[in-house]
Amino acid sequence: MAGLLGGSALRTTGRAARSWLPFFIAVPLLVLLEQKIALNPDYGLEYVFQNINHIGIAIILAVSLNLVNGLTGQFSIGHAGFMAVGGYVSAVMLMRGPQEDPYRIFFVLAVLTGASAAALAGWIVGKPSLRLRGDYLAIVTLGFGEIIRVIIENTPFFGGAIGLSPIPHRADFAWIWGVVIITILVAKRLRDSTHGRAFLSVREDEVAAEAMGIDTTGYKVRAFVISAFFAGVAGGLSGAFEGNLAPQSFTFVRSFEIVAMVVLGGMGSITGSTIAATVLTILPEYLRALANLRMVIYSVALVGLMLVRPRGLLGTTELWDYWRRFRARGKPRPAAPAVNEALIDVRSATIRFGGLTAVSDFSLQVKPRELVALIGPNGAGKTTVFNLLTGVYPPTDGNICILGRDTRGLSPHAIAHLGVARTFQNIRLFKELSAFDNVRIACHHLTRESMAAAVRHGELSGVEEKWIAERSHELLEVMGLSARASELARNLPYGEQRRLEIARALATGPQVLLLDEPAAGTNTKEKQELMQLIRSIRDRFGVAIVLIEHDMKLVMGVSERILVLDHGVTIAQGLPREIQSNPKVIEAYLGEKYAREHAAQIAAAGGPH
Amino acid sequence: MDGVSLGAIYALIALGYTMVYGVLQLINFAHGDVFMLGSMIGWYASARWTGESQHPSILGAVAVTLLSMVLCGCVGFVIERLAYRPLRGAPKINSLITAIGVSFFLEYGGQYAFGPNPRAFGVLPHRPPLHLFGITIGYVDVVTIVISVLLMVVLQRIVFHSRIGTAMRAVSWNPSVAALMGINIDFIISFTFVLGSVLAAVAGILYASKYPSVHPLMGLMPGLKAFVAAVLGGIGNVPGAMLGGLLLGLAEQLVSGYTSSSWRDAVAFGILILILLIKPSGLLGKGTAEKV
Repeated sequence: MAGLLGGSALRTTGRAARSWLPFFIAVPLLVLLEQKIALNPDYGLEYVFQNINHIGIAIILAVSLNLVNGLTGQFSIGHAGFMAVGGYVSAVMLMRGPQEDPYRIFFVLAVLTGASAAALAGWIVGKPSLRLRGDYLAIVTLGFGEIIRVIIENTPFFGGAIGLSPIPHRADFAWIWGVVIITILVAKRLRDSTHGRAFLSVREDEVAAEAMGIDTTGYKVRAFVISAFFAGVAGGLSGAFEGNLAPQSFTFVRSFEIVAMVVLGGMGSITGSTIAATVLTILPEYLRALANLRMVIYSVALVGLMLVRPRGLLGTTELWDYWRRFRARGKPRPAAPAVNEALIDVRSATIRFGGLTAVSDFSLQVKPRELVALIGPNGAGKTTVFNLLTGVYPPTDGNICILGRDTRGLSPHAIAHLGVARTFQNIRLFKELSAFDNVRIACHHLTRESMAAAVRHGELSGVEEKWIAERSHELLEVMGLSARASELARNLPYGEQRRLEIARALATGPQVLLLDEPAAGTNTKEKQELMQLIRSIRDRFGVAIVLIEHDMKLVMGVSERILVLDHGVTIAQGLPREIQSNPKVIEAYLGEKYAREHAAQIAAAGGPH
Repeated sequence: MDGVSLGAIYALIALGYTMVYGVLQLINFAHGDVFMLGSMIGWYASARWTGESQHPSILGAVAVTLLSMVLCGCVGFVIERLAYRPLRGAPKINSLITAIGVSFFLEYGGQYAFGPNPRAFGVLPHRPPLHLFGITIGYVDVVTIVISVLLMVVLQRIVFHSRIGTAMRAVSWNPSVAALMGINIDFIISFTFVLGSVLAAVAGILYASKYPSVHPLMGLMPGLKAFVAAVLGGIGNVPGAMLGGLLLGLAEQLVSGYTSSSWRDAVAFGILILILLIKPSGLLGKGTAEKV
């Protein structure tokens, strides 16, 4: 028992140490870089490194603001105010503290004190205003930023309007970038943890989050205080780096710049904030000629982005998401295919029901992450194709390979294990179970715990249960069904049932997702959302999607390749715009007479002839 | 009395905030900048018509004010049409960011177009202060108060006693149901923006007459304070905005009377935080629970 405890403690320590590995590796490198290059007069890179340090400070500010504005979905526009609090408190300490600080212990202390003061200010400001609807926060933080500036300008202790100078120069390249790494690590860890999900749930739907047992106000205040803390750190670093602080550098404009970084980079994306902070710091250096227009350009870019791409350039995606996906794909799976090999490879499959040939000579290759649509008039055999793929029917003739494995003789569940998941045209949910359970059930085959161990409630089962719960919740959230988790599936509105089906299918961890008329019975707006959803599912889960759909707008909008079936025969395949003008397709849909008229129209208009 | 007239100006701006918030639940950050444009247009017009002479005739002042009202109304209409309408139904935070973007565009676009320097400006003919009941009131203050009260009465009539006012209130209660009742929501929202912007233009002219200095960033502070006034009175509530504006103006005047005037700006936000702590729905507002 003792040994077990010791072992787990050791493991925990090991994990903790490992988790800060990037930091421990980076710091010596940064110091080395600073000693060898930044401080080396031979290179003459002082100006460059000055800019690099400005970038670092901007990144700290943007990433920390992203916690509030991006992850938690609140809207603070007074970040410069918190920066000022931290900056001035630590600057005063540095100026009045010991002149010699060989190990920079006092410097660290000063910065931490400043940051804590900023955090405290954040708490005081956030506590009353975060209880309320989000837009109050914008005004309150804006006002707070202005008040702080007024106070500083009127307080001789803080140097008044002239500012504080000289502040002992303590922060340099290695310090600033060390803090950048810490900030990013903290933000990332938070985001990936259950707390990060709590933040996100606040952003997505406060009412739902509250119903999920999340203390939304508490989490908003927490995000806000953490964010203010890091703004304070940035302020402290900035003062100790520049050697002076002036109230003019903490105006509303500064706050707005940080907001612009977060919004342009993508609200919720740490990578996005980092990139945007870098770009927006460098850009003005090279656009001196446009200095007067800088704020005009920012504001136009902001409004334009909101109209065109409301989630910001990167949205909520992160660089490491791609890395993870890449790694996940690299993991050996039984019969895993090479990345570019077809996930589904159907060759000349034919199925006959008695005398009726439902599908004949059907061939289809689906590559990873491809979006293929299967269209055709009613009764064309589309759903039959899905039934062939998922092993509901075995083909009369031909081969169906999934992930390189011939599915002949495999039962549907085995094919599901291979990585094919589907939804049904006529929704087939576990009607009397909750939405959450519907999804949990679908995770079943991914677990390893034996029934006996589950009964014993072994260590693994706890871990797996937790994992399943997390996974299911995540899937429900992706489908916007968080609030419905405990609702019985049959009580859900039609559109949500369809989405729940998708969530359930995704829970099986598929490589290929087969969607059978997901847009049936939905309105235009929902179709629009569905289109987004389908794409985001593909991007987020890295699955290939085969879609049966009658709504041409959706099909044309979302698919990369289209196959057209009519009476079980593949009459056309190609890119969406090729299909749109294909006479055979028009004929199949509209009848021969109209197709001829259509062709005549094209001819009259000087078309192909 | 200085405080009352300042409060009246805040109230005029606050009405625009409150009406837009009422129908759209959007804080129109750019409203303060429409107010700035009101002053700017006034300055340009009076500079053009009267040379740089500061104090035109009454007729000239009326003409300048009317022009400013018309142009600001157009600006308000265009802003709503281009920036806010496409985002209707989008998450709130998007509209908020857009609003701030528009505000910055007007401010810094204005700075680019007009130059950042303040210009002296006084539309109203110069008259000596009045002596009433033993107190001295500046002439501008009297005009401000009279015009503001007049406009508020008119607005009260429009909102509560006209067909279009009824439609506005219906939209603020429930836009989709209002639409089902045959109300053209787009028109009502446009109308609300125009109405608010027209009031802001008048406020801009009056403000510039009171504090004769016009520059592109002048809208920021009065705009924010007017918003505070709207929240103080209960946002979305028309009489509340008037009351809030008046109280805020008086409070500011008291503070700058008793302490250094540079703390004036801090008062408004102190009040805001207090009201959010004590009665978030504002003095005349009703508490509302979010619909689930």
